[in-house]
Amino acid sequence: MLDLVSLSMRNILRNGRRSAITVFSIVVGFAAMACFGGFIEFSFEGLRENTIRTRLGHLQIYAQGYSERRVSDPESVLIDDPEQVIERVAELPGVAAVTPRLSFSGLGSTGNTTVNVSVVGVEPGREEEFSDFEILVDGRPLGTGDPEAGLIGEALRNGLGAEVGDWVTVLTSSFDGVINAIDFRVAGVVRTGSEEYDSVFVKVPIELAQRAKETEQVERIVVLLDNTEDLPLVQPRIEEALSKLGRRFEIRRWDELAGFYDAVVALYTGIFTVFAGIVGVVVMFSVANTMTMAVFERTGEIGALRAIGARRSTVVAMFLIEGAGVGLLGAGLGVAASWLIAGAVQMAGGIPMPPPPGMSQGFQAFFKLDGPVLLDACAVTVAATLVSSVYPAWAASRIRIVEALQR
Amino acid sequence: MGIISLRSVSKSYPSGGSRLRVLHEIDLEIEAGEFVVAAGPSGSGKSTLLNLIGGLDHPDTGTVRIDGVDLARRDDRTLAGLRNEKLGFVFQAFHLIPVLTAVENVAWPLHLKGMARRRRIARSRELLERVGLAGHMHRTPGRLSGGQRQRVAIARALACDPVIVLADEPTGNLDRSTAGEIMELFASLNRDGGVTFVLSTHDTMVVSCAGRCLSLLEGGITDTPAMRTTLDGGPAHA
Repeated sequence: MLDLVSLSMRNILRNGRRSAITVFSIVVGFAAMACFGGFIEFSFEGLRENTIRTRLGHLQIYAQGYSERRVSDPESVLIDDPEQVIERVAELPGVAAVTPRLSFSGLGSTGNTTVNVSVVGVEPGREEEFSDFEILVDGRPLGTGDPEAGLIGEALRNGLGAEVGDWVTVLTSSFDGVINAIDFRVAGVVRTGSEEYDSVFVKVPIELAQRAKETEQVERIVVLLDNTEDLPLVQPRIEEALSKLGRRFEIRRWDELAGFYDAVVALYTGIFTVFAGIVGVVVMFSVANTMTMAVFERTGEIGALRAIGARRSTVVAMFLIEGAGVGLLGAGLGVAASWLIAGAVQMAGGIPMPPPPGMSQGFQAFFKLDGPVLLDACAVTVAATLVSSVYPAWAASRIRIVEALQR
Repeated sequence: MGIISLRSVSKSYPSGGSRLRVLHEIDLEIEAGEFVVAAGPSGSGKSTLLNLIGGLDHPDTGTVRIDGVDLARRDDRTLAGLRNEKLGFVFQAFHLIPVLTAVENVAWPLHLKGMARRRRIARSRELLERVGLAGHMHRTPGRLSGGQRQRVAIARALACDPVIVLADEPTGNLDRSTAGEIMELFASLNRDGGVTFVLSTHDTMVVSCAGRCLSLLEGGITDTPAMRTTLDGGPAHA
């Protein structure tokens, strides 16, 4: 087998210029695929972390029955004594922050203008970790010593015509169905990345939110981990810790709550699949052309090999190994080329991108060339070269020996 | 029955709208150790005869037996094994693998046979020394003369200790002097190793080396015992 591999490799080097052109086309295809895959991976990561750190956290803890009754009877599925839960979860390894949330919708008004708002009550002292992806465009963040301060989204500021320091009244109903209102002073204006969210976003201290809903309970407890990759390890620990409290909870992961993220991943994955398919076809044609030429040029040799006892399967194997060899060589150089390109983009500070649909700001894009991206590109490249070698290899093995020897 | 046995063998090829009959109802027996030359003009069927004996082609009718094995009853895999182990081939155009060195070319049939690398390299070296190429083992065919390439091809043909060597116009691409050297080599291998040789040629010098000459013409064979001579004209044996 080693001799067959050696023979195949030497045959690749035999027509250096042709092999170089073929390998170059594979490298270009590989680098395009890897960089596009890296860009998508970077986008996924950005969207994922943005979704987790601005809104969902990695996990959300609800009272048992929240899914069924949160609309019909929301008061019955609030969490009692949230501090007990927070303390128990916060001490677990891998957990970065635990914070209660109470959210509701209402009407926000500055006196002149009234708009819909989505209010989330938070504990300012526990919110630093969650604010990573909130960009403060004006004012200051929420502090622990200011129970009547609030943050609003940039688009909401424009809608309300409010500025930092202005008072905003939020009208809502308590869990008992009584109309209630709270006032907060705009401490800062933030940009969350989502234009739609920015247009309704209000963040206030949880005590203020509880006052609006006339409750001392919280709707949910949001858990943020040190690393998203640790989620499969940490979730069972949290479930085990909560089971010891003698109460029952519902725990939902961020990906169960982020329908938008799933839709984006599905869309981009589909686009990448089509792109990889196109690259694969281009590589296949390039390699098939090279292999067909090789068979044509080496017909006499094939005849001689068969005459001295090579089986058809040996001839097939020889050309398949050549195809795989070209693919692997192209993939290897493709990895190097992709790293060079990604490094150059990194050094240049990224590629400026316009705001994605629904987002309020553009971003600097990079190519995240992690293992799966490169492995996918390798798999497509080598598979394409192997598949494109099958017919020439089969044709070579079916050449009549007598005719081959006459070439 | 001889080591090579042909019974009522016919072979024709398509030519325009009809078929060109190359061999017609041929009967032939060749005994082990014979040195046979098939002679005749171009298109007389010399190469076709060797191809049929070598299992490279199939007759339209009739049977070809090698060492008692009916080639028509064997599948491609078995025929490949038979060619590897019992037959050696030498071609006019040498048909060496250009990316392999001389010793690797000779070793290739042994690789196909499944022999361990060390043993086949040793065997290949021994054969190359035997054909006078001890100093050229690591040269690729492109760096060898025509005569040297044919010697490598002969060593390759002998690699698996074949019972029969088939050589199709083995001196066709060589000058007179080199052709004489190659024929001397064939003769010594036949004489000393007992290998059966069947050559095709239209070179009278090659015919003069044969122990038996088959004259092919218009699809038929005329079998004539030949007086083997040395290359300088004297009789080699009676």
